Amino acid sequence: MSRARIAITCLFALMAWQGLVAETVAQTPARQSAPPGAQVYFHYPIDGLSVPERFTVRIGLRGMGVAPAGVDHARTGHHHLLIDTEPGTPDQPIPSDYNHIHLGNGQTEVVVTLPKGRHTLQLLLGDYTHTPHNPPVMSPKITINVR
Amino acid sequence: MLRIAPALLLLGLAVAMPLAGASAQERARQRSPAPATARLSFIGLADKAQVPARLTVRFAISGMEVVPAGQPMRYGGHHHLLIDTELPPLDQPIPSDFNHIHFGGGQTEAEIALTPGKHTLQLLFADHNHVPHDPPIMSERITVEVPAMPAEKPRSAAAPGARVFFLDLQDGATIPSHARIRFGAEGIAVTPAGTASPNGGHHHLLVDTDVPALDREIPSDFNHLHFGRGQTEAELTLPQGEHTLQLLMGDHEHVPHDPPVMSPRIRVRVVADGQPAAAAAPSPPHAHGAAAGRTPSPNDAAVYFVYPRDGDRIYPTSTIRFGLRNMGVAPAGVAKPNTGHHHLLVDTETPPFDAPIPSDLNHIHLGGGQTEYKLTLPNGRHTLQLLLADENHVPHDPPVISERITVIVAPGGPNARRRR
Repeated sequence: MSRARIAITCLFALMAWQGLVAETVAQTPARQSAPPGAQVYFHYPIDGLSVPERFTVRIGLRGMGVAPAGVDHARTGHHHLLIDTEPGTPDQPIPSDYNHIHLGNGQTEVVVTLPKGRHTLQLLLGDYTHTPHNPPVMSPKITINVR
Repeated sequence: MLRIAPALLLLGLAVAMPLAGASAQERARQRSPAPATARLSFIGLADKAQVPARLTVRFAISGMEVVPAGQPMRYGGHHHLLIDTELPPLDQPIPSDFNHIHFGGGQTEAEIALTPGKHTLQLLFADHNHVPHDPPIMSERITVEVPAMPAEKPRSAAAPGARVFFLDLQDGATIPSHARIRFGAEGIAVTPAGTASPNGGHHHLLVDTDVPALDREIPSDFNHLHFGRGQTEAELTLPQGEHTLQLLMGDHEHVPHDPPVMSPRIRVRVVADGQPAAAAAPSPPHAHGAAAGRTPSPNDAAVYFVYPRDGDRIYPTSTIRFGLRNMGVAPAGVAKPNTGHHHLLVDTETPPFDAPIPSDLNHIHLGGGQTEYKLTLPNGRHTLQLLLADENHVPHDPPVISERITVIVAPGGPNARRRR
């Protein structure tokens, strides 16, 4: 039952997000500002680590709070995990695809499965419209070795 | 110095052996080379440490790669844990028995169970054929001690007259194969596992089994269902036929109380879902009392401390970091399914789950959706616990609560003095 609920929540989040994307592209609203010292970082894994193919990414956030996508609260945002990709322009919403994993329900950890080899991971906080803050709250890009 | 003497002796033996017997030489395998810089050690486990009877041992290898057994790879191999034993001959495959545990799947940690007393642990790396490398890559042999348990650990006491029982379910009842079983408790509080509380415990449902040993942890399997989060009901799916059900309360460590708090064992007959269930079938629309207003949480949700861990020494001002599994974080006031915000309980009992969490110095609300908190505490021993709550600060149903951990605050933090 709870699984179904999660699925429905995800669906709603996705729909809400697509609606918001259309809006933001049209008007490009002011980006939410991030407090000085705000920082997003990896609890796990850390740079250079060897990990199994299926592992949990644990995310830490300093100086700000987590809120689900669509919730407009000052000093909050939701996490995005960027896999093997560069962050885009900070005034555009973060795309949603296999390389940009949205944690739109306010999750602070996510299980990912990656093919063997080297991969890069980076964390980027997005506001309620999935747009990075000003200045962007972003972790350094780390490289991991999936074995 | 003394400790490595037997290892050296054995090393000597291992070198001498091929010379001594031709048969040994035949059996000796080609050893894989290892870089001289490779290092193997235990993580977080020091020599002469006191350890619990069941512990997770983690291995760290540097300069070499961990690959599953059977896969030849230059500078690759897999771990072996030697318990209470000397080094085996280094030119032959490592034996496989209770004293030589193989991690051929490439595991880098293992949960082991030790009997009370002193034990030695040593790691030995070996190649695809289980033969140690040349030079052998091994850790120091460390000695750990498991304290004698029974003497210092009496069972938790239960109040006289405390009892547990099934609600709406009598001996001989007929139930559908998918049924909701509700548990009642009287004279004893229902508290989550991991949280010691006087005269409290959590339910265990024994299905088709006898009462387990009462002086130790209740087993966890399909016949012994744990309700460690303080649940008072369960959705149970049973095959058709006769079954027995019994409730047994366990304390924070899953050990039955003294005297044990358990229900009589009842017999139920399970029929297919469609058939009319006679007698005492559980009535689905039941009043939930005070819990009616609580927000449901997913069954697999969990909140835990990323930092610190139980027993850690920490600085007076430390950042406490929270982890949350299978749920999301939302600021207070935001109603969204499967989300909540953290509360850090400092030096306090677990509050009631059917009311908003109090807001004071001992109950720190992270209403902005924070996932860490910089906490300043006076020196000494303190307890910390995490409790997630919904938009109205009321814990979920079942509650999403961490174990209550103990930390020791010292000016030097972790460096003050080695723990234990």
